[in-house]
Amino acid sequence: MNTVSEPVEMLEIALTVNGVARSATVPVRKLLSDFIREDLQLTGTHVGCEHGVCGACTILVDGDPVRSCIMLAVQADGRELTTVEGITPEEGLNPLQQAFKDHHGLQCGFCTPGFLMTITGVDPDEYPDEQSIREMLSGNLCRCTGYQNIVTAVKAAWGRPIE
Amino acid sequence: MTDLRLAGRPVYFGARVARVEDDRLLTGQSTYVADVRLPGMVDVAIVRSVFAHAKVSVNVDLARAVDGVLDVVRAADLQDVSEYPDFITYMQPVKGFPLARDKVRYVGSPIAAVVAEDRYVAEDAAEAVEVDYDELPVVTTAGSALAEDAPKLFDHWPDNRIVNLPLELDDVEDVFRGRRVVRGRYSTHRHSGVPMETRGCVAEYRDGRLTLWTSAQSPHIVRTTLSYVLPIAERDIRVVAPDVGGGFGVKTHIYPEEVLVSWLAIRLGRPVRWIEDRAEHLVASNHAREHTLEMEAAVDDDGTIRAVRCHLLHDVGSGEIFMPGICPSFVAGSHVAGAYRIPLAENSYTQYVTNKTPSGAYRGFGAPEAYFAVEQLVEKVAREVGVNAIDLRRRMLLRDEDLPYTTATGGIIDSGSFQESFERALELGREAEARRREEHEGETNVRIGFGIATYLEGTAPTYFGTTGHWTSHDSATIRIEPDGSAVVSVGVTTTGQGTTTMAAVLTADALGLPLERVRVEIGDTDSCPYGLGGWGSRSTVTGGGAILKAAATIREKVLRIAAHRLEVDEADLVIEEGNVHVVGSADRAITMGEIGTAAWVRTLDLPPGVDPGLEAVATYDPPLLQHVADERGRMNGAAAWANATHAAIVKVDVDTGVVEILDYVVVHDCGPMVNPPILEGQVQGGVAQEIGGTLYEHMAYTEDGQPLATTFMDYLIPSATEIPEIVIEHFESPSPNMPLGLKGAGEGGCLGPPATLANAVVDALREFDVEITALPITPAVIRDKIRSPRRVDA
Repeated sequence: MNTVSEPVEMLEIALTVNGVARSATVPVRKLLSDFIREDLQLTGTHVGCEHGVCGACTILVDGDPVRSCIMLAVQADGRELTTVEGITPEEGLNPLQQAFKDHHGLQCGFCTPGFLMTITGVDPDEYPDEQSIREMLSGNLCRCTGYQNIVTAVKAAWGRPIE
Repeated sequence: MTDLRLAGRPVYFGARVARVEDDRLLTGQSTYVADVRLPGMVDVAIVRSVFAHAKVSVNVDLARAVDGVLDVVRAADLQDVSEYPDFITYMQPVKGFPLARDKVRYVGSPIAAVVAEDRYVAEDAAEAVEVDYDELPVVTTAGSALAEDAPKLFDHWPDNRIVNLPLELDDVEDVFRGRRVVRGRYSTHRHSGVPMETRGCVAEYRDGRLTLWTSAQSPHIVRTTLSYVLPIAERDIRVVAPDVGGGFGVKTHIYPEEVLVSWLAIRLGRPVRWIEDRAEHLVASNHAREHTLEMEAAVDDDGTIRAVRCHLLHDVGSGEIFMPGICPSFVAGSHVAGAYRIPLAENSYTQYVTNKTPSGAYRGFGAPEAYFAVEQLVEKVAREVGVNAIDLRRRMLLRDEDLPYTTATGGIIDSGSFQESFERALELGREAEARRREEHEGETNVRIGFGIATYLEGTAPTYFGTTGHWTSHDSATIRIEPDGSAVVSVGVTTTGQGTTTMAAVLTADALGLPLERVRVEIGDTDSCPYGLGGWGSRSTVTGGGAILKAAATIREKVLRIAAHRLEVDEADLVIEEGNVHVVGSADRAITMGEIGTAAWVRTLDLPPGVDPGLEAVATYDPPLLQHVADERGRMNGAAAWANATHAAIVKVDVDTGVVEILDYVVVHDCGPMVNPPILEGQVQGGVAQEIGGTLYEHMAYTEDGQPLATTFMDYLIPSATEIPEIVIEHFESPSPNMPLGLKGAGEGGCLGPPATLANAVVDALREFDVEITALPITPAVIRDKIRSPRRVDA
């Protein structure tokens, strides 16, 4: 971790993104979401509000879901990041992605990576029923689906019965 | 008419086929406009008005001097840009222009554009643009905008009325005279589509051609409009709508930034990008739905409505938007008789400008507002006359024997399940109500309410009412390649509705091809034939019609080539599974690849007199659609009419005023379903959106025109915890006038919630004798109603 005594415009950071070590010199004011999208060109992470409400930019930082639009790139120094590209297998879809496809859990797809990352970052045992699943999802906004099919996709991916 | 049908037995049509677009969207491989990356690309930030009404003068010298800034432009710099055309003859001319020329009329109005090496620098420099505001008096309500001495927004208009269409019909007056009249005044508030992807555009000018990638619903209309306002020929413009993250009507308009970014790319010779941020979106993308319907019903002693009269007041904000935002009122007007046998209707329109963000298109486009009024007025008639509202609806709803039926406002209804869908939704709703009443029995602060609303949805409408220019057709091109695979290019577009899958399914089944051998081109004016895009529940109906028509031409040629090669009669051939074979003899076959090869490569294999090639372009214009109203304001403005009934059970906490939706039922009928999961997703999404509009979302303003909802902390989009499970059942009444009987469905879901939930809340609070005359129904409103029930909302 860099320690700074004088204000500087640029800082060097080193981090792991989707299992690959990366380093870069970035403006200290650059948002993590912009760093991921513009510098790393991982455009699967979307920006929907830039004020931490909609959840479209959700990624995993050291395994936990985080809104990358209200975190600075320099704050990711030394951390391990996972984006939607990082959970996607070489071929095809992972089980959660497949469940979204099977149950029509997406329409325009813009919010989808954020949902996938939130769900990937939580422990299913902490969300035993539909109400708690809906609460887990409530930090991610979707304007297309009405959420019902997303809830169904989560249940399917977690091996729960679908009525 | 060409034979608009499938090749044979449907394989994919009507089946639960997985969407062809999903894999890219699920893996981060999609390309939304913000993902378009071009070498040397620079970013734009827009300077926007912070006052609602002011004369402005702008100094950009300081901004130009900021390190990394390439250009800063004001209206005066746009010398070769033309005003947007004002096509609509009965509307005051707005003379729209991309940047404010001397005056701003709403907070968020674009004043200057800053181009810099990146968005961070552009925003720094935007701060350095000096705008002198000379403030003017502000109007934000009907009262202030329509007052005799109201300050005018447009100096060249007589007053603030953008549309003023009074109507008095003698036969309606005759029906009203001597009958009981029931009146209601119903207001819906300002809210909007607010897609999760904001707007944005990227432009590049290279080799004399402009390419604009834009998050838009109608790329061809963007192209044509750019050719009207920029000094560049339409042939030299390419517009691409890449993956679009929701539209809901918001992205049908052609916004100032699309013109500015294109103009800047031409001027600078570098690719230029502008991506709207959310704070901008909430003031700079269109708002909607701020309607008041003053309704009167002339009723018989048993409550049967014999005529309705409606004065529609519409706050269109500043009106500075292209396409104009006035047409939702006419769509609302077209629904004032509901799904009922009400013989006569009379609509008058007063649309006015205010110092607020321009209003425009939002899913449902006036119809949710209309049903909020109509479906509450019916209940009010029943209460005042003393009959049961359910029985009253049963008496008035359209019956099978009425069809085809022309509504009081000119809609031609050729099919539907009005009585059946109503009865089924009623049954499901009553079951749920009984269950919920039992569950909550004895909870002293809880009241349970049942609400129902039934409606028609006009689908695939004319665009002439909105644009005064474009009408209604769409197009498709289908090409069979030498290997027997197919490419279908469509003029309709997708913002997430699954239109790509619809196009693939119809093409595959109309040509007897496996789905995976069809590729869909969509959203690119260079590769797609001219179409009006995706809006108004039109893509399946109009785009589907064009696909079926093109496929019919292809089938004809395929059969001719196959008959020649197999030396049989065309009538003895069947097309299926990528082959053409003789009926009852699957081994006497020729593959689609052999036919494609004969058409394009080995043309010596073609029958004598048959030209090479296997490609067809077709346009489809729905047959019954009318574009202009008659002298009574009547027209059949929609190609096909779907119908549905919604029922909801709500729980109202009389201490807190919180409304919780316990059950929501939709019984829906849009004719045959191309893809049931996609249709159900459309219904669920539409219901969810207008639950938001009914209970939570509000673009509120202060008296001096300052917007109060500028973040997602203030503009409350419902999350997974606010939206209940939505139970959907279907009827499928095909339209005899549409290809395959299809009707549209994209908007339908959002027509029901305002009326359904209002009726449910009124029912829950019946001991307090309340009326819900305005939206949104917030906890504060409910608490206030309980305290003073009979007050009519402003």
